[in-house]
Amino acid sequence: MMVSLLKHATFGQKCGGLLLLVLLAFALFGNGLAPNDGAYQDLDAILAPPSETHWLGTDHFGRSMVARMADAIRLSFMLGVLCVVTSSIIGVSLGVWAAWSGKKVDAVLNVFVNILLALPGLVIVLLFAAIVPGSFFVLYLAISLVQWVEYFRVVRAVTKTTVDSPAMQSSQMMGFGRWYLFKRHIWPAIAPSVFTLATFGCATAILTMASLGFVYVGMQPPLAELGLMMVELFPYYSDAPWLLAEPLIAIALLVLGFHLLGRKSS
Amino acid sequence: MKKIFFPRLFQLLSVIWGVGTLTFILMRALPGDMAYRIAASRYGQDNVSSDAADLVRQELNLDQGAVVTYFSWLKELLQGNLGRSLVSDEPVWQILQHMLGHSLLLASVALFLSFFIAIPLGLLGATFGKKVDQGIVVFSTTIRAMPVFVVGLIFILVFSIHWNWLPVAGFGSPEHIVLPALSLAFTLAAISNRVVRNAAIKAFYAPFYRFAQIKGLSSGRTFLRHGSRHIALPVVAFLGIQLVGMIEGIVMIESLFSWPGIGHGLAHAIFARDIPVIQGAALLMGILFVVLNTLVDLVCYRLDPRARRQA
Amino acid sequence: MQSFLRLFGRPTRFFLLLSLFITMTASAVAADNPTPTSQNTLSISGPFEFTSLDPSKNGYIYTRMQVLETLLGVDNQGHLIPELATKWQVSDDGLAWRFTLRKGVVFHDGQPLDANAVVKSLSIAMGKHGTLARAPISNIHAVSEDEVEIQLTRPYTLLGAVLANYANSILSPDSYGRKGNVLAMSGTGPYELFQYAPPHKLVVKQFAGYWGKKASIPFASYLTGHRAESRVLQARSGQADIVFGVDPASIPMLQRLPNVSVFDDALPRTIVLKLNSGYPSLNDVRARQALSLAINRRGIANAVLRSPGSQTEQLLPASFADWHLPNIKAPEQPVVKAQKLLASLGWHLNQDGVLERDGKPFELTLITYADRPELITVATAIQAQWARIGVKLKVNMSNSSAIPAGHQDGSLQVALMARNYGFVPDPLGVMLSDYGRTGGDWGAMNWNDESVDRDLATLQSVTDKKVRHQLAQHVAQVIYQDRPVIPVTFYKQHTAVNSRVKGFHFDPFERTFYLNDMVFVSR
Repeated sequence: MMVSLLKHATFGQKCGGLLLLVLLAFALFGNGLAPNDGAYQDLDAILAPPSETHWLGTDHFGRSMVARMADAIRLSFMLGVLCVVTSSIIGVSLGVWAAWSGKKVDAVLNVFVNILLALPGLVIVLLFAAIVPGSFFVLYLAISLVQWVEYFRVVRAVTKTTVDSPAMQSSQMMGFGRWYLFKRHIWPAIAPSVFTLATFGCATAILTMASLGFVYVGMQPPLAELGLMMVELFPYYSDAPWLLAEPLIAIALLVLGFHLLGRKSS
Repeated sequence: MKKIFFPRLFQLLSVIWGVGTLTFILMRALPGDMAYRIAASRYGQDNVSSDAADLVRQELNLDQGAVVTYFSWLKELLQGNLGRSLVSDEPVWQILQHMLGHSLLLASVALFLSFFIAIPLGLLGATFGKKVDQGIVVFSTTIRAMPVFVVGLIFILVFSIHWNWLPVAGFGSPEHIVLPALSLAFTLAAISNRVVRNAAIKAFYAPFYRFAQIKGLSSGRTFLRHGSRHIALPVVAFLGIQLVGMIEGIVMIESLFSWPGIGHGLAHAIFARDIPVIQGAALLMGILFVVLNTLVDLVCYRLDPRARRQA
Repeated sequence: MQSFLRLFGRPTRFFLLLSLFITMTASAVAADNPTPTSQNTLSISGPFEFTSLDPSKNGYIYTRMQVLETLLGVDNQGHLIPELATKWQVSDDGLAWRFTLRKGVVFHDGQPLDANAVVKSLSIAMGKHGTLARAPISNIHAVSEDEVEIQLTRPYTLLGAVLANYANSILSPDSYGRKGNVLAMSGTGPYELFQYAPPHKLVVKQFAGYWGKKASIPFASYLTGHRAESRVLQARSGQADIVFGVDPASIPMLQRLPNVSVFDDALPRTIVLKLNSGYPSLNDVRARQALSLAINRRGIANAVLRSPGSQTEQLLPASFADWHLPNIKAPEQPVVKAQKLLASLGWHLNQDGVLERDGKPFELTLITYADRPELITVATAIQAQWARIGVKLKVNMSNSSAIPAGHQDGSLQVALMARNYGFVPDPLGVMLSDYGRTGGDWGAMNWNDESVDRDLATLQSVTDKKVRHQLAQHVAQVIYQDRPVIPVTFYKQHTAVNSRVKGFHFDPFERTFYLNDMVFVSR
């Protein structure tokens, strides 16, 4: 499986994958490069430039930026992966169900989807985030609620054509079970789209969390979160430009990595 | 035509009911005592106290149960009455009108600018060799990797701080709109220039286009007569998809540039717990979204003679 | 036009029409306000928005923009000075205050200021939420054309200061609607209301008929900027002439600019931790003292607030000599002392480095609000400093209303706030509502001291300066020792002023921006 994935991957996808692996490694092991954890403050050593003890410098509280960046990137990965897993499972199963189980289910699900689609996702997430400010769980819930719709629509469309295909119909006539039919015919048809949606969805989830942090309704300080770090460090752009640059670059690299990974060919 | 209108009409109705109910439930669940929050907005942070909160509670009748409030709100909504702001006591309609004007202005200027960026870039990528196209790909990918507020931040740092050409925030004069609109336009164009390019390549290599060229039409005339419409169709269709990004971008950009539009107003109303304004703003965004989508459908319908013949 | 458009394909035509539409809308918006230009308008940017013309609600914005004035004013030391009243006399029993009104004052609508107008404004203010409603007033009436008398049910030394509060501004009688709501604002200040676009924009115009020093700058505008970053950028680019509430982080950058100067002014506003003294882990005074000792105030003042020397263990600065204790020194080795105090209360560190007593960890929740950007950073610093002595603090950023709400329902544990002790220019006003018998929404919680209570009550009727000083010192001493609240630093107001503005000075009581003292200089 892995080997065949690698073989079919384009150059861009390989770059994206590598970029994400490097970021993931930093997120998991970056704390080891810092002398203290990300919450430890030293008010006598604020805004220090990168040095041997503090590889990425210290922020306005004298906290180690290496540790905080690692924390923030880990949080972004966590949210991205959680949202993708949840929304893809819901979206794919409902999509297949809607396409496979006749008109009634399809109609009911479509009404629901149409209501959800009538409002921009960020507005829905904003409203949810307002209920419990600073809650990772609510953010995750809201983003997943918005994102499953895309999987649903794509999977439903692809499944519809697959169900009507001669190959599938002959399999069905041979008496194979539903699970086999799904594995043998439907999954291979939808897998590439689901993979693309997942990578882009991951990037969108990460961006959404950062956007909410930027308008102060997302995660709350002192938690290290990329959007929040940008607002917090923005006032220091002329004293310590490297500090503002770090979360900016990190989020750009994360999104870039996922976009590259998801692109089939250009 | 019916095929376009009926589903959209249904969507519009479900938006009004769904969004209204959703915001209603969400707002009831907001943390903190509503009377206190409203009192803080009304009297300022130095003068908010339990006395002020009691006054607000009495005046606005906040002790009613959720069900009663919901049905009275639904009744009001059906009569087209959005109520008054709990904070400023202004009619919500008036507030929304003011904000809508600013948002629409920002959106249309941004959209317009994005065409001016995307169409030349897309055609450039389609006509001039691979090197140019790859350059544009790198440019688009870089912009797309940045959240819209980061683009805005960079523009602020460059154009208003480094060079001091344009104002940072505020509204009222034409130069105020340049930076917010430009940041929005760049993020939109980063995606749409690829759509233009792909549509253009498809059109340029289509047999009818080749034929027109062979027939001896000048390249400009060929493009106008045979190319433009075929490129416009997918681009306009794509607009519908971009609307989401546009509205989301507006929320962020308005907040960054203190532009007094709906997105800024919505975020602020959530903070102040101004329920009628939240409902009004969310509803308006939903309705606008559906209406614009319908418009896009209609424009596609006008552009594509095949669709008309079918109907 | 038609044939011209026909030259283009249909989509192109659509875009052209769209662009035409946009240009027209843009010019329509620009034509909105024809007279004020950036050359003749002093533009001010601040964090607070306004939603009402009612002085009891947003009056501060109108007195600061010098549209409204009050009977009495306050100088920078907190002494009452004449404003619309030139003279005031208190009867010997302290129950009647008589004010003589200034002659030759006209409202912006052309009506002259007389006793009836003053009585009307004050009576309406009394019926609304505010400082006057809480004063023991039995009657306000006109004695003659230019004399007003206020009768009290008991002596109330605060009345003068209360009348200097923005909520008790004097408006023209025609400003009010039937129910006392303000329909069109007409005050007596050097500027009159020109454009009112709540909640973001307010423009005022110089008033030629002003009784005092007339304004030299034709227009002044106030623009609400919610984000501290945007306001700083406005100062930097010169888009705003005066920016109030500059966040401390941006000060060094602004100071390096040639066209901007930054003013740091002390305010009677203090950053204070409000404690629930009834909460199990906080009900012993030693616990509260330990928490106070564990705070690195110098570090917060230097690194977080960027105003060295603003650290304090008292509520009021030295300029309020009555309420300021002169001999308080910072303790040595505070953290060790704090640890000892906590150990004496039975707290000991567990494996995770958190204090524990009877199996329960020392955990607290702090609420603070976003309106003032420095509060959340100070909260973050305190969180880390308390963590070092083993106290686990959860910070909850909320709305300013969460503090009175949490006080009333008893759920509040710790709150971080910037309390304005000059809200009524005599600190007694706020001290009374914060540390009186039941404590106050913004003061002590579940804490009571009989001697403080008694002294605060006496202060309302005693006029002898020496006695007042002693009483106030005693109150300050008890609050310092008992720590129902923990002061952290004094609040400094940072203001960025563009070099084209001369004559800027700051009112520590935040009653006025002194716009009529400012002039534009050509660069």
